[in-house]
Amino acid sequence: MTQLVVQSVVKRFGKQTVLNAFDLEVAKGEFVALLGPSGCGKSTLLRIIAGLETPSSGDIVINGRVVTGLPPEMRNIALMFQSYALLPHLSVLENVRFPLRMRSQASRAEQERRAHDALALVQLDQFTERYPRQLSGGQQQRVALARSIVAEPDLLLLDEPLSNLDARLREDMQIELKRLHETLGLTTIFVTHDQDEALALADTVILMNGGRVEQRGAPEELYGQPRTEFAADFLGGANILELEVVRRGDVLMGLFPEGSEVELQKSDGLEPGARKFMLRKEAISLAPDTEMATLAASIETQNYLGSQTRSLVRAGGLALVAVTDPVSAKSKARDLRIGWRPKDLIPLTS
Amino acid sequence: MASASRSTNREPAFLLTPGLFFLIIAFFFPTFLLLAQSVLTVGPDAGELTLEHYQKAFADSFYAGVAFRTLRLALLITLICLLIGFPLAIIISRASRIVRSLLILMIVLPLMTSVVIRTFGWLVILGQGGVLSWVLQALGLVDGTVSLMRTEAGIVIAMVQVLLPFMVLTTLGNLNQMSPSLEEAARVMGAGFFRSIWHVTLPMSAPGLASGAVLVFALSISSFITPSLVGGVRLPVIASSIYQQMTGSFDWGFGAALSVLLLGATLVLMVPYLIATGRLGGRS
Repeated sequence: MTQLVVQSVVKRFGKQTVLNAFDLEVAKGEFVALLGPSGCGKSTLLRIIAGLETPSSGDIVINGRVVTGLPPEMRNIALMFQSYALLPHLSVLENVRFPLRMRSQASRAEQERRAHDALALVQLDQFTERYPRQLSGGQQQRVALARSIVAEPDLLLLDEPLSNLDARLREDMQIELKRLHETLGLTTIFVTHDQDEALALADTVILMNGGRVEQRGAPEELYGQPRTEFAADFLGGANILELEVVRRGDVLMGLFPEGSEVELQKSDGLEPGARKFMLRKEAISLAPDTEMATLAASIETQNYLGSQTRSLVRAGGLALVAVTDPVSAKSKARDLRIGWRPKDLIPLTS
Repeated sequence: MASASRSTNREPAFLLTPGLFFLIIAFFFPTFLLLAQSVLTVGPDAGELTLEHYQKAFADSFYAGVAFRTLRLALLITLICLLIGFPLAIIISRASRIVRSLLILMIVLPLMTSVVIRTFGWLVILGQGGVLSWVLQALGLVDGTVSLMRTEAGIVIAMVQVLLPFMVLTTLGNLNQMSPSLEEAARVMGAGFFRSIWHVTLPMSAPGLASGAVLVFALSISSFITPSLVGGVRLPVIASSIYQQMTGSFDWGFGAALSVLLLGATLVLMVPYLIATGRLGGRS
């Protein structure tokens, strides 16, 4: 069942078009990440869905109801702000009770019970009488989260939910958010510029660029099969190789600037001519086996990163970054052969 | 360690000295003189302790009426300033930079004009055959001319104009610090426009509204020129009575007693403010 439809939404601020005929469908219970660099329109889209901005044209349908012209309070949604937006003059319990109180759901005692339950769900039920300023950043976030889920919204919107936390807390919160989504099954859309966050949390990642969808798909799909250079680069970073595709009998070969050739995996639309390819850093092996396409290379420099080692290698006239385990990196001489499975060299459309 | 902490404790005292010095010379000393004058006899047996000035103030129902009028007008002016100033401050806090500067300028402009000139401006508008009278006649709302001169309504209108900036500017200070996402959050949580203002914006601006209200009240209870010029001699307020005693009747003792009573009333009315701001300050 479809919970949210965004129908060719256009948003202009003056002469600048922030969203360009944007379409999106989100199924009930889906966990969707809107991922993109700042200025790609992802936050504007979230605010339009929430009713805090009006689209220049297009429609928003929540739970089968067109809500485009409705103010935020008439849409049954919750939005967790990046700044949490806790009300400083109200206690933790009163903050969490606020959505129920404003919507006059149930009696006061029932509202308080549900606020308690929501706080228990984020393990904060011992802090009900405190005020927001008496809590740490992580605790404030949990209060904001409890406040977002307490009224069982049709749609849970999260704006950069983890960006104000330090690395340690962020990891905890990722687990927490995923667990909460699995427990409650709320249709959730969150905005982020952090690809790790999008990959770690979402069922579906929508990569946005310049007010349009660049690519959408499951995290594995987006990471493994990016279609464009932008997608490849934004998700995890990658080596982008510009090769000349040439035909040698039955097979297609990739010609490097210095003349060496590697075999290419056949794929639709791959034809002779100049073409950009993506090669993930961790797809490059410094100890290639027989099934790999190999290339003579020299290691220029290495960074030891603890669990991994990053090597800058020069091969076929290109500089490539390889991320490998430290052991295999250490044992290598400066001149060696590097390799990768042909399927890992992914042709991009520009 | 101990000496270091002692020296830091003394530093604020140094900073306080100039202000304290000025306050003693210009406020505490004259106030003390006033207090003394209000309890000392005048005339041939001058210098004796007496309560006759206070007895006179309480015995004469005329002064009770004056005091009541002064309080009533001050409360009304404060209330109207709150009702106009709060929405106005919200509008200013959300306006674009240029509109905001223009609005603030418009509100502060009256403070840059001499009180006498400003009040004569009101005479032109409110007086017999004035602009107000002319507009009401043109709209067919009244027959003949009307005048708000020498009425309490006239005093209130003229005073609100003068005192509004104090209310708006103190409240604006609070509103500017408030994150706009708080109101947006309230809207998303199901509060309509007015409810989000009532439940979020109002409590967040309460300290500013309270200081504004105290300023407006204190200034209107002690105001003198505007009530005298707009209200005339038949609508005296405490301050104009004191002026009358000091300069007309030369009854300094009685004038001093009235001044002390005015000061006392103002101080008593400050108490709720201090309690309220103490509580608000502890919460925010």
